Amino acid sequence: MNSHEHDMEIAERTQETMEEMYVNMGPQHPSTHGVLRLMLKLDGEVVTEVIPYIGYLHRCHEKIGENRIYTQIIPYTDRLDYLASMYNNFGFVLTVERLLGVTVPERAEYMRVILGELQRIASHLIWLGTFGLDLGNFTIFMYCFREREKILDLFESVCGQRLNYAFYRIGGMPLDFPDSFVADCKAFLEWFKPRLPEYDAVMTDNIIFQKRVQGLGILDAKTAINYAISGPMLRASGIKWDLRRNDPYSIYDRFEFDIPVGASGDVWDRYMVRRIEMEESVKIVEQALQGLPSGEIMAKMSKKLKPPVGDIYTRVESPRGELGFYIVSDGSEKPYRYKVRSPTFVNLSVLPIIGTGCLVADIVAILGSIDIVLGEVDR
Amino acid sequence: MTPDEVIDTIKAQFGDAVKASEVKGVEARMDIHRERNYEILTTLKGMGLDYLNCLSAVDRIASGELEVVYNLSSLSLPTKALVRVRVPREDPIIRSVASLWGTADWHEREAFDMMGIRFDGHPDLRRILLSEDWVGYPLRKDYQDERLVPYEPV
Repeated sequence: MNSHEHDMEIAERTQETMEEMYVNMGPQHPSTHGVLRLMLKLDGEVVTEVIPYIGYLHRCHEKIGENRIYTQIIPYTDRLDYLASMYNNFGFVLTVERLLGVTVPERAEYMRVILGELQRIASHLIWLGTFGLDLGNFTIFMYCFREREKILDLFESVCGQRLNYAFYRIGGMPLDFPDSFVADCKAFLEWFKPRLPEYDAVMTDNIIFQKRVQGLGILDAKTAINYAISGPMLRASGIKWDLRRNDPYSIYDRFEFDIPVGASGDVWDRYMVRRIEMEESVKIVEQALQGLPSGEIMAKMSKKLKPPVGDIYTRVESPRGELGFYIVSDGSEKPYRYKVRSPTFVNLSVLPIIGTGCLVADIVAILGSIDIVLGEVDR
Repeated sequence: MTPDEVIDTIKAQFGDAVKASEVKGVEARMDIHRERNYEILTTLKGMGLDYLNCLSAVDRIASGELEVVYNLSSLSLPTKALVRVRVPREDPIIRSVASLWGTADWHEREAFDMMGIRFDGHPDLRRILLSEDWVGYPLRKDYQDERLVPYEPV
């Protein structure tokens, strides 16, 4: 083979590799945090198109809900976003309470906020740990799970469960806190606060991590609103929007806390927003423990719950964004229509926009920063 | 802009297209004709209700209709809007709003998947949660499947 032929062959091979090809990522890929399948159209190492395929965990949650009475739906809502079960319960019972026009006793409201915010910390810890794992940082994963265990211990002392709690009730809470809970919770917060700088040491101040995620997967504010993005992802795009502040439910209007916002909407901002939110949740729990009143924990409820004919859409700020329930009542014991607006289903739909044009390895980081839970995406 | 002003503006502009309306708290609720859904939603978006929270479909089997419900809100105004559109079950076609809101893309695919509503003008209308070869629309009230366990009160 002379050198000219050799050059020609190389040119031909290069031509071949320049062709676009499809790569199937998932449904069992570890970075998809569950069963999500992405079809990536690649030009060399660059992603030119992302096509998500979802539904692998679909169980028709909404149809199940329409065939159960209201109280029976609560355990099913646990399985939506299984990393934030308390908050799913919260959103659902709040919707039914508004439909019924029930006022919840003061102590129950405080209990809900305390457990909800602890759940937010636990959920963000899982996110931070697995996000670090996606990017090859195993230390942060161990740190985060160490802290989360303590929160699960607190939950176990309250309701006996560590993952799917089904603890909120329509009209209040079923059980009061155990006697030691307030002291245990305060002790946990005191122990947890010095742990946060440890995360900074391995993540925030880590120059490799900074270079890896800054300027990656940028979502501008206009696109974010157009795609109805919510939660930390929306705030990372520079919009100061938190339903706990902007459309307050329960007793959130009584607490002082800051809403962190990002500047450019990249993966770094989404990391920072969630990282700071953990501190803010700690503040809310501290204030709620301070103001925790004594008294009733359950409103007077009739045995059969029959909401009046009508419909309602209620939204809460779950750890992942706006969790909405749209319930249509026909006056019977079961909802006529029960629709769940899950935050990650909506947030994931913007992936084809922000994932295009980056490298394959960056898809993992961007997907991690969206913080999806497939139990909720697929419902 | 208050919910009353929202309803007044829409009524002034579209007249008969609004079948019924009411104000519930900060929410303007409207039932509209399906022929004008795109124009009315475009107007609402222009009025500042530019955040499409949710798009759901409801099976109104008693009147032989399917209903599409749009929940709109805004990140700058306290006002919300709820817009309902009914389509006949035998001809469930409605104009897509995916060109107005990116988020409507997946919501409409879900409504198509679960209720069989066809969104005219949708860029890629195919099933999203169920497999492509699934037969029927599970959230319709007359959907039959032997694996479905009906609720019987004890």
